[in-house]
Amino acid sequence: MANVDVAGIHRPAGPLDAAGALRPYAGPWNERWAAHLLRRAGFGGSPDEIRALAALPVSDAVASLIHFPSTANMPQPADVFDPVAFVRSQFAGQRPGEMTDDQKRERNKGLRMQERQSVLSLQAWWLDRMLNSPAPLQEKMALYFHGHFTSAAIQKGVTPPMVLAQNQLFRSNALGNVRELTRSVSKDPAMLIYLDNALNVSSHPNENYARELMELFTLGVDHYTENDVRESARAWSGWTVFRRTGEAGFVASRHDDGTKTFLGKTGNFNGDDVVDIIFEQPQAATFFAGSLLNYFVYNDPEPALVDAVAALIRKHDFALAPVMSTLLRSQVFFSERAYRALVKSPAEFVVGAHKALGLKVLDPSAQRGMNQMGQILFYPPNVAGWPGGQNWVTSQMVIARQNYIAGLMNSQVMSQSSWLPSVPMTAQPAAAALIASILQGDASPLASAQLAGYLNGTGESAMGMLSGENRDERVRGAAYLTMAMPAFQLA
Amino acid sequence: MQRTSFLLGALSGITVVANADHIFAQALAASPLPGLPGGANRTLLLINLQGGNDGLNCVVPHGNPDYYRVRPSLAIAQNQVLAIDAQLGFNPQMRALKALYDKGSVAVVQGVGYPDPDHSHFRSTEIWQTAAPDKYLHTGWLGRYMDEAGLPAENLFNGVALSQVLPEVMVAAKTDVPAIPSERGYGLISDRNAASRATYTQVVRDARQPFTSPYLSHVMEIEDHSQRGSQELPKLIAGYKPAGNYPATALGRSLSLAAQIVGSKLGTKVIYVQHGSFDTHVSQVQTQNRLLGEFSDAIAAFYADLAAHGSDGDVLTMTFSEFGRRIQENGSRGTDHGEASPLFLIGGNVKGGMYGTPPDLSNTSNGNVTFGTDFRSVYATVLERWLGKPSQKILGGSFATLPVLS
Repeated sequence: MANVDVAGIHRPAGPLDAAGALRPYAGPWNERWAAHLLRRAGFGGSPDEIRALAALPVSDAVASLIHFPSTANMPQPADVFDPVAFVRSQFAGQRPGEMTDDQKRERNKGLRMQERQSVLSLQAWWLDRMLNSPAPLQEKMALYFHGHFTSAAIQKGVTPPMVLAQNQLFRSNALGNVRELTRSVSKDPAMLIYLDNALNVSSHPNENYARELMELFTLGVDHYTENDVRESARAWSGWTVFRRTGEAGFVASRHDDGTKTFLGKTGNFNGDDVVDIIFEQPQAATFFAGSLLNYFVYNDPEPALVDAVAALIRKHDFALAPVMSTLLRSQVFFSERAYRALVKSPAEFVVGAHKALGLKVLDPSAQRGMNQMGQILFYPPNVAGWPGGQNWVTSQMVIARQNYIAGLMNSQVMSQSSWLPSVPMTAQPAAAALIASILQGDASPLASAQLAGYLNGTGESAMGMLSGENRDERVRGAAYLTMAMPAFQLA
Repeated sequence: MQRTSFLLGALSGITVVANADHIFAQALAASPLPGLPGGANRTLLLINLQGGNDGLNCVVPHGNPDYYRVRPSLAIAQNQVLAIDAQLGFNPQMRALKALYDKGSVAVVQGVGYPDPDHSHFRSTEIWQTAAPDKYLHTGWLGRYMDEAGLPAENLFNGVALSQVLPEVMVAAKTDVPAIPSERGYGLISDRNAASRATYTQVVRDARQPFTSPYLSHVMEIEDHSQRGSQELPKLIAGYKPAGNYPATALGRSLSLAAQIVGSKLGTKVIYVQHGSFDTHVSQVQTQNRLLGEFSDAIAAFYADLAAHGSDGDVLTMTFSEFGRRIQENGSRGTDHGEASPLFLIGGNVKGGMYGTPPDLSNTSNGNVTFGTDFRSVYATVLERWLGKPSQKILGGSFATLPVLS
C-alpha cells in the first residue's frame, strides 16, 4: 500500500544532494552550527557550552558527543518507592484473603499515591540529567528510546523501580546495538507488563506485544502478516513478571514449544529467534533509518536518504555509535535543510530554556509545565509514544509553552542565570545580546526592533527607559519575549 | 500604531465571530441542499471511543447462544442486559443512553467497518479519521469538509477539538482548528509587565526570518491564533450557563464545554471529543463498563443541557472507534483487536432505531466480526443529510447514504 498521495509536507523544501548527503561536512563551523549540534545531540547549550564546542574542529566536536565520558558517578535517584517490596514487608504474614475489600482498596489507594510521588521524583531526576549530564547524547538517546520502545508507569502495575530499570536500560544501550536492545527490552518487566506479554501463555496467547514489536518497534505496518503476529505471540509465550518479586522470568511450562512459521521461516522459535528473524529483514534497517532521520535530522526524509542511512545501519550491523557518528557529522545534518527543521519536544523546550539562560538548577515547576505542553516523562500517551512534529504545535500547547516561560522568569532559580545579569544596560545592545544567546540570531527584523523597544519602555505604555531599577524585571520580560519567537519553538 | 492595530484585530475577531451565524445562513442560502431547513446552526459532535470499543459487550446480542459460548467469562448475563428486543440490548451501564434510545433519539448502526481491516490502533485510527483505507492522506474527512464548506476564514472556531492533541480528523488544508483541552489552561497568563501581551503579538508575527523551516509558517499561525483565540473564547462563551447535571468525569467536562460553545452560537460546525481507552486486552468488563457508563451519563447531561437552552436539535453526535474486538475472549479476561463494531448517532435529526447488520458469530472474518456497512456510508449520510454538503469530493468516492437521518 505505497499509495502516498501527498509528498511529505514537513520535508524541507528544495532538492537533496542524496549522493553527498552522508559525506563529512566541511563547510563553515561556528556557534550557529555548534548550537544546532547541541540541540539535536542533546537539549541545547548554554552560551558557554556553545562557545566551547565551536572552538573545537567539527570532527572533534561530534566525537566529544559520541565518545562521551562515563556518567557512573552522577547522582542516582533516592528512595524509589517499590510497592512490591512494601507490600511484602508491611503485610508479611497477612494473606490478601484476610483483608476486607475496604482494607484492600485503602491500601491500594495509598500505594498508588506513593508511586505517583516516586515517579514525580524520577522525572525531576531525569530532567536534571538532561540539563547537567556531561553526556547529553546519552540522555537524548534514552528519550528517543523511551518514545520508541514505549512503556508507561503505574497503569497496569508498572512500578517506579521498573520504569527506572527500563530507563537505565535505554541509557546503558544509548549507542549500543539496537538488535540487542530489542532483545533486552522485550524481557524488561515494564515492557512485559505494559504490553501484556507477562500474560502470554501457550493456552491463550496474548498478541499485544507480538504486534507492537513489529508494527511500532522494528518494521512498521505492511511488513508482516496477521499470521506472523499470531506466530510471534506463540514464540513469546512463557515470559512473565513474578508478582512477588517484580522480576522478569521465563516459565517453560507456559511456553508454546511447537513449530512456528514466522516471516517465511519455520522452526521451534522462541522470542530471541523472533527478534533475530525480524532484524534479518531488510526493512528493519530501513525502519530505523527513517526513525533516526525523523528524530535527529528532519521529518519526512526522502527515500534516497533513508536508503543511504539504512545501508549504513546494515554495514554496522545495527551498532548505533558508528551510525550516529556518521549521521551527526554529515553534510545533510549541517545543511540549511536540516537547520531549525524540527519542532522541539516539551523536554527539549524546557531543558533548552534552562540551558539558554545558563541555569544549572531545575525549576521546580518544570514537570507541571511539561504536563501542560503534552509530554509527561514515563507516561507516554500510548504505545506509539509522542507523535511529535506538528502535534507539538496546537493552540493549547503553544500557550502552555509561553505560560511556562512566564512562570520560569519569576522562579527563584532565575537569580542563578550565568549571563542575564551581565546583559548591556542599553536597549539595542541588550536586545542583540538576548537574540544572540537564546536564538543564535534567528529573529526577524521586526521582532528585534520590538524587543529593543520593549526594553526601552517605548511603544504602548510609558514604562520608562531601561535603568538599574527596572533592569532585572525588564531583561526577564525581554527573555520571555525572545523565547516566544518562532525560532525558539524549533530545534 | 501597533497598539491600535492589535486592538482592531481583536475587535474585528469578536465582530466576525458574533456574526458567524449570519454568514453561515447566507452561505447556505446561496447553495441550498433540498430538505435541510435550519442548517445554519447545525453542529456535529464527533466522539472518538479511542482504543477499540468491544461491540459485543456494548450492544449485546443476548438472544444469541453463541455469544455466551465465545465469552465464557466476559458475557453479560441476560438478566443484566438492558434489552431492546429478544436479540439485542445495551450494556447495563448505559441506562441513560437506553432512555434516550426509548425516546427515539438514538440510532445504532451495527457492523460498521471497511474492507481489509487493519488491526493496528494507529493505522486503523488514521483510516477512520482520514476516511482513506487504501492511501495515506494528510487531512481528515472533517478537515476537508471545513475546507469545502466555505466557512468564514476570520472565525477562529469553525471547528474545535476538545483535546490536547489536534486529531487527524480535524486537520485541514485551509482551516486551522484549535485544540482546547479545557477552558482553563487556554489563555496566556499576563506578565507583570503589561506591555508583554501586545509586544508578544508583534514578535511572533514577522515572517522575515534569517532561516527557513518547514514548520515556520505553521508555528507562526498557531502562535497568532492561540493568542487571539484564547482572549476571545472566554468572553464569547461567558453568557452561557450550563444547565445539565454533568458527571465529574473528563468526558463530562468536555461535553459541558461543548454545550457552551454550541449554545453561544460561535458558528462552530464540528466539535471533536475523545473518550477512552477502550483497549481492553485485560480485565475488560471493569474498564469497558466504567467507560460506557461515563459515556452514557455525559451524553444524557449534554442533551438535557442543550434542551434547557432550546438547542438540542442543533447537535448531531456521532461516535466511532478504530475497531471492535476479537469475538473469542483471550486468556486474560480481555479481548484482542478485532474488526467491525457498532456506532451511535444521537440527537439532531436522527431517526432512532437499529440499523446495519447484527454481528454473525459463526460466520466470521478470521475470528472477527465481518463488516456490513462501510464507515464512509455513515460519513456520507452525515455530510449530506446533516451538514448539507455533497460527500463525493470529501470522501474521494461515492457512498450510499443510510436512511438514518430525516
